[in-house]
Amino acid sequence: MHFYLPIAEMSANVLVFVGIGTIIGFLSGLFGVGGGFLMTPLLIFAGVPPVFAVGTQSAQIVASSVSGAIAQWQRRNIDFTMGTILIFGGLVGAIIGVQFVKWLREIGQFDFAVSISYVIFLGVVGALMLIESLNTIHKIRVGHTAFERRSGQHNWAHGLPLKMRFRRSKLYISAIPPLLIGLMVGFLAAIMGVGGGFVMIPAMIYLLRVPTNVVVGTSLFQIVFVTAATTILHAVQNQTVDIVLALLLMIGGVIGAQFGAAAGEKLKGEQLRFLLAALVIGICLRMAWQLISAPEELYSVTPFLEHTE
Amino acid sequence: MLVIRLNRMNVPIICCRLPIVSSFLLYLFFSFLLTSAQADELILAKESVQADISTRSVSITSSFTGTEIIVFGAVENARRTKDSLNPYDVVVVVEGVSQSLVLRRKSNVAGLWFNNEAVYFSSIPSYYAISTNRPLVEITEPHILDQHGIGFMHISMVLSNRFTQGHISNKINKESKTAIVRLKHKQGLYVENRFGTIFVGPSLFRTSINLPANVPVGPLTARVHLFRDGILLDTFISKVQLSRKGIGRYIYNFASNYPVLYGFFTVVVAAGAGWGASKYFSRRRS
Repeated sequence: MHFYLPIAEMSANVLVFVGIGTIIGFLSGLFGVGGGFLMTPLLIFAGVPPVFAVGTQSAQIVASSVSGAIAQWQRRNIDFTMGTILIFGGLVGAIIGVQFVKWLREIGQFDFAVSISYVIFLGVVGALMLIESLNTIHKIRVGHTAFERRSGQHNWAHGLPLKMRFRRSKLYISAIPPLLIGLMVGFLAAIMGVGGGFVMIPAMIYLLRVPTNVVVGTSLFQIVFVTAATTILHAVQNQTVDIVLALLLMIGGVIGAQFGAAAGEKLKGEQLRFLLAALVIGICLRMAWQLISAPEELYSVTPFLEHTE
Repeated sequence: MLVIRLNRMNVPIICCRLPIVSSFLLYLFFSFLLTSAQADELILAKESVQADISTRSVSITSSFTGTEIIVFGAVENARRTKDSLNPYDVVVVVEGVSQSLVLRRKSNVAGLWFNNEAVYFSSIPSYYAISTNRPLVEITEPHILDQHGIGFMHISMVLSNRFTQGHISNKINKESKTAIVRLKHKQGLYVENRFGTIFVGPSLFRTSINLPANVPVGPLTARVHLFRDGILLDTFISKVQLSRKGIGRYIYNFASNYPVLYGFFTVVVAAGAGWGASKYFSRRRS
């Protein structure tokens, strides 16, 4: 069954796109990530032009993260104070990021910038998570306590002013680190067309020491608002949001997210982190390979607007 | 010719018996030669092509998966050669709306591959389909093809006065033109059918042109070029309207006329879908 996408100007196979949505939704519910970093390559592979893939998937991420966030909220896993600060930082970051994207597009280095940021961020985040989760799994095996919450331990994040109490996270830290994390995530969200959960989750766990169960819900809560803003920015600036394509992805996405959240309950925190790390590293390696291997096609064509000179 | 030969054979026989009749026949014979020569000139001057397209307007509805249009026509005042071979060549070109495009070329710098050169075009056909009755090289000379934009390597591409990078930017060289054609061909937007135009009888012809599902929306221009012995005799031009219909049209208009509202609407729909799904699933679980 095919359906014509009015904005992307192509005919889409309904099953293919609902299927892609389901896969992404499942991962979203499982790990609390938006799944954008997987969605972009999948959509492009299915024939959607990259600009429409990036523009449209932000709408789908809104749907799947709303679904995921409600599921987390019902389990009381959202720190709203932390989330609000992250959102504020995220919105500022997204606005800066969109301008940066515009400039990158003009000089033709957008794809390169996306690949490089994927490689760097996914590589660092993936490696850190992998090492940590493997250590934890190993410690459990040899009989140490599973959850080492060294309460009262201080790092640089605790020495800053503007201290606030984050009840749900059981933290009393400065508002500046979450704000900066939000800012960076918003910036990345705009450049990479992703929610940014894969950066935010490790940053919250390792820099802010937010408990793992609260991290996923809070991250989803922030993603809802930042991707909503990104969707509107894409619709206004680039007109690359295809609501029909977004709906097809949503149908799969919301269903997948529920199953993902249910599956996540059966897994332990460190196991979840190990799986997410493996996924992140896999995509990082694929991106790195694209940058260093000789491409089959040296040329590429992209439409541009003559009157924007 | 056959008739004349018959006449020649008949004339002497008739001559012996009836001189008046024979002289009359001779007169007829010469006058026939004369009028046929005049007629020849007349036909040469009037050879032209008449054509039409099966669909003058293609609607892109939500179930659009590409379509086929048929271009058909006739050579008016067609002449026959002695060996009764068809002396005509018909080239059908269907072009989409022109678009501005930037072509980029990757190169390896310090072990990494990235776009290093760019050339900007202000006008390139977004879609280009060509159908001929035999390969273009056999039909006519390259300079005629260039002049009329017939054939992949002769498509008119206009450079933009925008800034460019690297050596490929200096002019539209063969390499960059080949690259654009190759990339467009891969997307299914530049199509060529070397034997797609078929003659039905001495002067009727037809060809079918495939419009893929990703054809850029906008009016299409169909051109039918008539050639004989490498000379362009006539060109017929027609338009095909390509427009969105139904719900797709509403969505497109909404998105382009009220982008802010459309963005908010999309977000509300997305949030609603997420909320609805979580409601449904939590109810089912409990």
